[in-house]
Formats: sequence, C-alpha cells, structure tokens
Amino acid sequence: MVNRSEPPSAARSSLSSLMDGDLAPSAAAEACSAWRQDGDARASWHAYHLIGDVLRSDDLAVSPVHDVAFLQALRQRLSDEPVPLAPAPWVQAPLPQAEVRVAHAVGARRRGAGWLVAPAAVAAGFVAVAGVLVVTRSGAPDVGASSAPIAQAASSTAVPDALVRDAGLDRYLAAHRSLASGAVAAGAAEQRMHIVFEAK
Amino acid sequence: MTTDDVDALLVERAKRGDTRAFEMLVVKYQRRIERLIARMVRDVDLVQDIAQESFIRAYRAMPQFRGDSAFYTWLYRIAVNTAKKALVDLKRDPLVTESARAGANDDEDETSRVERELTDGETPEAVLASKEIAQTVNAAIEALSEDLRQAITLREIEGLSYEEIAELMNCPIGTVRSRIFRAREAIAQRLRPLLDTRDGTRW
Repeated sequence: MVNRSEPPSAARSSLSSLMDGDLAPSAAAEACSAWRQDGDARASWHAYHLIGDVLRSDDLAVSPVHDVAFLQALRQRLSDEPVPLAPAPWVQAPLPQAEVRVAHAVGARRRGAGWLVAPAAVAAGFVAVAGVLVVTRSGAPDVGASSAPIAQAASSTAVPDALVRDAGLDRYLAAHRSLASGAVAAGAAEQRMHIVFEAK
Repeated sequence: MTTDDVDALLVERAKRGDTRAFEMLVVKYQRRIERLIARMVRDVDLVQDIAQESFIRAYRAMPQFRGDSAFYTWLYRIAVNTAKKALVDLKRDPLVTESARAGANDDEDETSRVERELTDGETPEAVLASKEIAQTVNAAIEALSEDLRQAITLREIEGLSYEEIAELMNCPIGTVRSRIFRAREAIAQRLRPLLDTRDGTRW
C-alpha cells in the first residue's frame, strides 16, 4: 500500500500533473524553475517518467546510473554549444484607424495628375526604410542558469527593445506587413488603408 | 492540455535558450531514443554516442522546429538519420566491426520489442539492474490499492486523460490527479534504493 510517511511535496505533485498535461501553461515555467533549483524535483521527474516507460515496456527499464551519466555527459557537450535562440513570434501591432499617408517629397509635385498608386514604389520605399532600421523583437528569453555563450547570429534578436523606436514608423511597418501578406483584404473593413504618394 | 502540449511548452522554452527545459525533454525521451538506436546499432557504446549526437543535433535545430509534428516524432527522425549516418561512416572506417554494423537493416518500428540478449559492450550488471528496475516497478504496482493501480494504469498504459479517467472511475478530476501522484510516489519510494546512484552522482 501507499506509504504516506512522507507528505507529498507540492512541487512533485505539480510535476506529476504537468507530465500528464493537466496544468496551465504557466506551470511549465514553474516546473523548469523547480528542475533548475531542486535536485529532488529532478529525481522525481526522472523517476515518474521511468515508471511510465517501464509500465509500457520492460525494455525501457534502465539503470538510473546510466541515465544520470547520460545527462551529465550531454550537459558537458551542451555547455560547449551556443544557445540556439529562436526569435519570439512577431506580434502584429494593431492597425491605426487613421489612414497611412506616405509622403514622397522627391521631384516636382504633380497633384493635378491625381494620386499615383505604384506598388513597386511602395516596395522600394519600404526597402529604403528597412535598410536603415533594425527591428527588435520583444520577449527576451529566460536563459535561466545557462552560462553557455549566445550564438552571435541570433543575439541581435534577443536584445529587449534596446533601440529607441518610432511609434509612427512602427505603425507604418505594421501596415506594410499587412499589405504585403494580404491581411488587409481579410481584415476589418474599417481599417482601410490609403497609400498616398505626394510627389512634386 | 495534452502531453504533446507539455512538450510544446518545454520546446518553446528551450527555443528561447532555457537549457533546463531541454534537459527535461532529454530525461523524458532518452530511454526511448536509446532503444530505437539500439535496434540499428548493436554496439552499446555507439548507441550512447549516437543518442548523445542525436540530442545535440536536436538542440542545434531547435529554432527550426515549428511544431508541425509532435516533438518526439521530430526527435525520432533526427535519431534515425543520425544512426544511419553513423553506420555509413562506420562502413568507410577501416576499424569498423561487424557487430557494430549488425542490425543496420532492422525494423525501425519503435514499437517492436528489443531482443533482450546482451548487445556488445552491455555488461551483465547493467542487464541485472534493468531487470531489477522492471521487477520492482511491477511489484510496486501489484502492491498498490485498486484505486491507485487503476488510475495509473489508465494513464500510463492506456494513455487516457484525467477527464477520461475521472469519467471511467466516476470520481472528480482532482481525485484522479491525487491518485496518480500517490501511485507514482509509492512506486518511486520502492525504487529509491535502486535510483540512488552508487557513486553519489545526482541529477
């Protein structure tokens, strides 16, 4: 029968529920924190999974000495690896209610000729703007206790809003992304956009 | 939330640089990955090396994992490809042993059973320890009360969710959660003398 001499730890109980998919997403953060700080939690995470594996197949009954050695060897190798940072998902800014006007003040103003709608010019303008803009993405990763070097190629995406951003430019870029992906057509009708060129 | 969702949460954290989340996935899947590779490569030292290499490759490729398939399916493919590459390299290597190459054409179906004969490099002590673990778990299951045994069996062997188990056992989900946890604790308690590593190494 169950030995109840040891009161069940809340952390171990949470790990048990988490591995069965019974906890809120925030529980993953708590479990990772427990894994980081608590050797007992690490041993329990291993023991619970080992029990499940053995119940499904005796083939998976492996000495924990082997499992510990495996993880320690892997940790050693991981410590030499750059941390692979994936960029956080792009969160699209809400489209402005006001129309987006792009003033193009090059050359003679030709209002009399009407508005010139030139998608190629829009794209070219965007390229010029994007060329001088570094878009940072929010959501700095919690690298936890890891001391491994950050991959140089990915590190620029991990800097949390280190650059001063221009709100108007952000709105323009968000609008452009929507236009480029066709999201405007699928979006709300009230968020109609006018790309306007003012040329002399 | 399903167990796949749990993996996805841990993967998301690992993708953002949390190596501990990746370690939790390693501890979860390491035995299955090693068993898979052992079907392709019979040299037990090679099995460990290839399993390590598979996890390293998965770690490096983590930013490219989009979640189109389950994490284990993705990891499984990486392990199979890593093992195949190792076998190809072995064929080019003049030091290749027949035993290490044996099993290269084995069935890759990971649900098939592994022959429990000694593979090259596997010590009798390791085999004995494995049998001891299996016997202890099975004995601990038998010693559980009917409620606890049924709850953990439905969860671990039948793969039912807490909701489904609650419906089957006609009890609240909280009771299911408690029973499964208590069952795991009871079995782990019996396993503890075997789980404490002899050389004092800790998780």
